[in-house]
Amino acid sequence: MNSLRARLLIALLGTLLAVGAFASLATYLSARAEIDDLLDEELRQVALSLRDYSTIDLTMLGPPQLDPGHRVVIQVWDWRGSALYMSNAAVRLPLARDAGFEDVRTGSGDWRIFVLPAGGQTIQVGQPLELRRELAAEVALRILVPVLAVLPLLALAIWWIVGRAMVPVNRLAKVLKARSPTALDALPAHGVPDEIRPLLEALNGLLARLAEAFDAQRRFAQDAAHELRTPLAAVTLQTQLVEMASSDAERSEAISALKQGVTRTARVASQLLALARLDPESVSTPDARVDLSATVQQAAAELQPLARARGVALQVNAAAGAHVAGSADALHALVTNLLDNAIRHGGDGGRVEVKLGLQTGQALLTVTDHGPGIAANERERVFGRFARGSAATEVGTGLGLAIARQVLRLHKGAIELDDAPHGRGLCVRVKLPAQAEQP
Amino acid sequence: MRLLLVEDDAMIGSSLVKGLGRENYTVDWVRDGPQAEAALDLAPYRAVLLDLGLPRGDGLTLLGRMRARHDPTPVLIITARDGLSDRVKGLDAGADDYLVKPFDFEELSARLRALLRRASGRAEPVIRYGALTLNPLTREVSCRGAQVALAPKEYKLLAALLDKPGAVLSRAQLEDRLYGWDEPIGSNAVEVHLHHLRAKLGEGIVCNIRGQGYKVADVE
Repeated sequence: MNSLRARLLIALLGTLLAVGAFASLATYLSARAEIDDLLDEELRQVALSLRDYSTIDLTMLGPPQLDPGHRVVIQVWDWRGSALYMSNAAVRLPLARDAGFEDVRTGSGDWRIFVLPAGGQTIQVGQPLELRRELAAEVALRILVPVLAVLPLLALAIWWIVGRAMVPVNRLAKVLKARSPTALDALPAHGVPDEIRPLLEALNGLLARLAEAFDAQRRFAQDAAHELRTPLAAVTLQTQLVEMASSDAERSEAISALKQGVTRTARVASQLLALARLDPESVSTPDARVDLSATVQQAAAELQPLARARGVALQVNAAAGAHVAGSADALHALVTNLLDNAIRHGGDGGRVEVKLGLQTGQALLTVTDHGPGIAANERERVFGRFARGSAATEVGTGLGLAIARQVLRLHKGAIELDDAPHGRGLCVRVKLPAQAEQP
Repeated sequence: MRLLLVEDDAMIGSSLVKGLGRENYTVDWVRDGPQAEAALDLAPYRAVLLDLGLPRGDGLTLLGRMRARHDPTPVLIITARDGLSDRVKGLDAGADDYLVKPFDFEELSARLRALLRRASGRAEPVIRYGALTLNPLTREVSCRGAQVALAPKEYKLLAALLDKPGAVLSRAQLEDRLYGWDEPIGSNAVEVHLHHLRAKLGEGIVCNIRGQGYKVADVE
């Protein structure tokens, strides 16, 4: 049973019925006690009034002039136990042994009798108990009947009242149903009952959070589409240059440029994907135990070919034992991006130094290159998505530092850019909370 | 035809320089706002290809400054910004056309031709003047109905002279239109090319106005 209306209906009608039944029962019992007292007294009075008559008088009189509704039966017995007088031959009550009131069971139902010994005779006055029950029930019904009569009316009233109470809810449902999936503004709280307001407020809160998440997604998708246009434009042009080439030398030069263009496009796409995966809304807090030294070694090994191709010497000094809690993939992306940036922007034939150490419970990673560096006033800007340093001569995705910052946000770490200690170049410092040595 | 390309992306820039070079344009390529300003000050350009997102200075700012000093050089915006408002803003800022990346080289080339045609006040794509016909699309030249095969530099010279038919261009002006920054110019290179051009076209088509320069004659 899931309908509020039906539940209310059953609960309220049931309660009313129970109250009515209880009131009727109580009335019945109290009426019964009063009727018992009253009719017992009547029986006694009849018996006492008969004591003064002789048996003969009674036979002569015929049945006594009593209220026929009271169905009183009178019997007179002599001392031997033979009946002297029976007011109603059809009713045979047994001769009681003791004087006073008694309930007896006979072939014609239960009877209440009053026995009065009177000078050798026994006067016995009886009345069916049935009568008393009927009288009490009649009184009780007088309570119950109106209750029953009012039930259907009450049912209708409840049906209507609940329906009225649900109008704002239905209105809300209609508004929600008619909404487009992109309409995430708050629902109107006007006219909503207090009981439903918490639900509405919770719903509005959810809508607001959804709108925020949608917005972030939309912004990201827009940025991503925008940023993919540039490498795609390059690839389009490079393809056409291949087609337009008039000699083999020109063609092979154009194809080599095209390959670079394709590689760059693929890199932008994979970087975008990495960034999307690191969205704080969609990532649970990572808590695996990651060996940062191993991560640095691995990333350096992976980037060795790129470094070699550019004549960059990659010097790695990663002390073992630096462990952090987090996601191995994300941390790998962090280190790879920092090293990649340093190799690409650090200038051909230069040197990139990577150092990992532990310092007061912090894992400290520094990546230093000898490139043009990043001017102090640009150091905040380059963390934005798709931002590039203005001194950059190298084609980048503009996403590396955005990814790094996102990873560090997830791992409660920090990153800062600084001048290289030996003058020219950029020094990237990353701090991550280190985990204690495992016992 | 000398063009200025303002584009910060190395791959797109080098591809455009190559592609436009094949179409006999002389292209100077700069990568940021200040460089573009400097280039515009130094040389006359027939058109500017302008990227909007530039390091140190936005393309629209540059365009605004050009128009503020009444520089009428046609500007074709090439950008990744594809929003309606961006396009409207670009055109309202004084751009003559707007092309969204990624674009096809052929389309860029066609738009560029249309831009140059409009800038020189012509309606038809083929340039006719006197006995000469020059088709910028096919780069075919004919003189008195006969096709003439020209070397790229000769074609560029003729195209420059036919840009405003009948106008006299000095040797320095012709040099400016023919050569980009990074091309070495021999002391009499223009004369050499002019000599070949005049020989190929025949007498009386390209005239030397003593002390002033050269022009194309309006002869039948």
